[in-house]
Amino acid sequence: MSPLDQLFSNYLPVFLGTGIGAILVISALVGSRLLAPYSEERNKGTTYECGMLPIRRASTNVGMRFYLYAILFIVFDVEAVFIFPWALSYLAVGPQAYWEMVVFVGILAVGLAYAWKKGALRWQ
Amino acid sequence: MNLEAFHFIGPAIVLLAGAVLVLLADLATGRRACVRPLAMLTLAAAALYAATQAAADTGGQAFGGAIGVDRFTIYVALLLIVITAAVVVAGEPGLTRVAQRGEFYALLLASTASMMLLAQARDLVAIFVALETTSAVQYILVGLGRDARASEAGLKYLLTGAIAAAVLLYGFVLLFGIAGSTSLADISRAVAETGDETRLAVVVAFVLIAAGVGFKMAIVPFHAWVPDVYQGAATPVTVFLSAASKAAGFAIALRLFYTGLGGGDTPVSADWAKLFGVLAAVSMTLGNLAAIQQTDVKRLLGYSSIAQAGNIAVGLAAVATGSTLGPAAVLFFLGTYAATNLGAFIAVIAVGARVGSDELRDYAGLLRRSPGLAIVLVLCLLSLTGLPPTAGFLAKLYVFNSAVQGGEQWLVWLVVVAVFNTALSAYYYLRWARTILLDEPLDPAPFQPPAATNAVLTAAALGVLFFGIVPTPLIDAARSAAAALA
Repeated sequence: MSPLDQLFSNYLPVFLGTGIGAILVISALVGSRLLAPYSEERNKGTTYECGMLPIRRASTNVGMRFYLYAILFIVFDVEAVFIFPWALSYLAVGPQAYWEMVVFVGILAVGLAYAWKKGALRWQ
Repeated sequence: MNLEAFHFIGPAIVLLAGAVLVLLADLATGRRACVRPLAMLTLAAAALYAATQAAADTGGQAFGGAIGVDRFTIYVALLLIVITAAVVVAGEPGLTRVAQRGEFYALLLASTASMMLLAQARDLVAIFVALETTSAVQYILVGLGRDARASEAGLKYLLTGAIAAAVLLYGFVLLFGIAGSTSLADISRAVAETGDETRLAVVVAFVLIAAGVGFKMAIVPFHAWVPDVYQGAATPVTVFLSAASKAAGFAIALRLFYTGLGGGDTPVSADWAKLFGVLAAVSMTLGNLAAIQQTDVKRLLGYSSIAQAGNIAVGLAAVATGSTLGPAAVLFFLGTYAATNLGAFIAVIAVGARVGSDELRDYAGLLRRSPGLAIVLVLCLLSLTGLPPTAGFLAKLYVFNSAVQGGEQWLVWLVVVAVFNTALSAYYYLRWARTILLDEPLDPAPFQPPAATNAVLTAAALGVLFFGIVPTPLIDAARSAAAALA
């Protein structure tokens, strides 16, 4: 068996799992369609068969503001992720590590200043 | 690590620092006037830095071998700086739809810096990071315009780019699996020892990589984004994409396939020679056939750039068959194509700013309305066709010659296809030239482009003529750059 075949044979369980999963889902759907009683009643199509009629659409618009905040959050999230390993290896690397982090945080600060100046932090 | 490592990526650092400065200056002053000179100053400083590197013949590797500097990277860096400088100097009239000037110049500089790093990268991870930085910046650049078309173009570019990046990454993963290392030097050793059992994996890997890089080079079948993005983006962005991004794409393709996959003497080189041969033939034919039907000049130049990418890919195919002229021919073609395309696109910017549209019929009688502009544009069209005495002729000659020198029967046929395509392309290039020279103008009022545009147009025209008559300086530079690649 060549190394490449060996590599792919490692994935055999994955392929088997995918196949069995697909067969299970398809047989459940087809089986219930074939075996279960089926009614064409109009009310069966509503959201709740009894009770309140739903008003408005289920999907609503989410404000763009949240999107901006999410982006800004990710920036600082990533910054934090970088700072942890930096703090651990700080003593080993020495002053160069300090200046590299200053540059990195400085560039992110420019980004924050940009967002601030452009009014991304104002909740209007 | 020492300071020499930072000296190696000096020009890119200068550009990135300049990008931050441009952004800050734009924020602090809020005036548009200061950002453009600052961007020019940054480019001049970076060019000076790269020139001193070239003069000192700087060479070596840094960052654990992930980044290198040699004549090839300096050639690409200077080419990119010249293209960006031309866009900064003459792009202003084409930015009417772009309100965010500070962002535009900052992103332009950042994109140039990452493309320079891309040419310097010698490690799969560094290549991927540089390539994606380049792309991410360009997605925003394309979508900067204040209209639905630019947004659509930006989204299209982003979606196709994301797929291309994923495909490229699959290829890289396979290469890493084969070689057990991300360094191109190790990979080329592993590929050279390819046996029958790993051969298929290597072939699949380089097909995937060709697809990923093909997106940047805009060759068929990875070209679907080109016409819409070229048309939708602000014209200066289109210039940048068609000249700089394409040059960076071919530079990294040369690096990956020539250095990484071991040039012309590995067990798989015949396979990728044929791959690029087929892609080149299809690109040229489809690009030219589609360009014939266009009435919008930006779309026309978009399809033309696909066809030209096919011409350059003939050189890539030649590289794989062991043609020693191949890499130098590709680099020479990229240099002349940059000059030609800059001239054509900047003429399009000047006409678009005056007429307010990019329709072919608006170029009627341009010779009588703005003679200088018309002559430069016609010269560039002749160069795109590949007629002497322009640089485009010599570029095609060198690329085709390198293919014939490869010595394979099918490469000769590829050149035949390419020559046939040149005739095909002459139809729409020369039709455009005829519209400019002979047709009755719709609006006879004469006009004069701004001084900065005139300066860049003159420089482009001189470049097209100079390298068409005295190609030696550029050829020598391309040769020594190619020698560094081997």
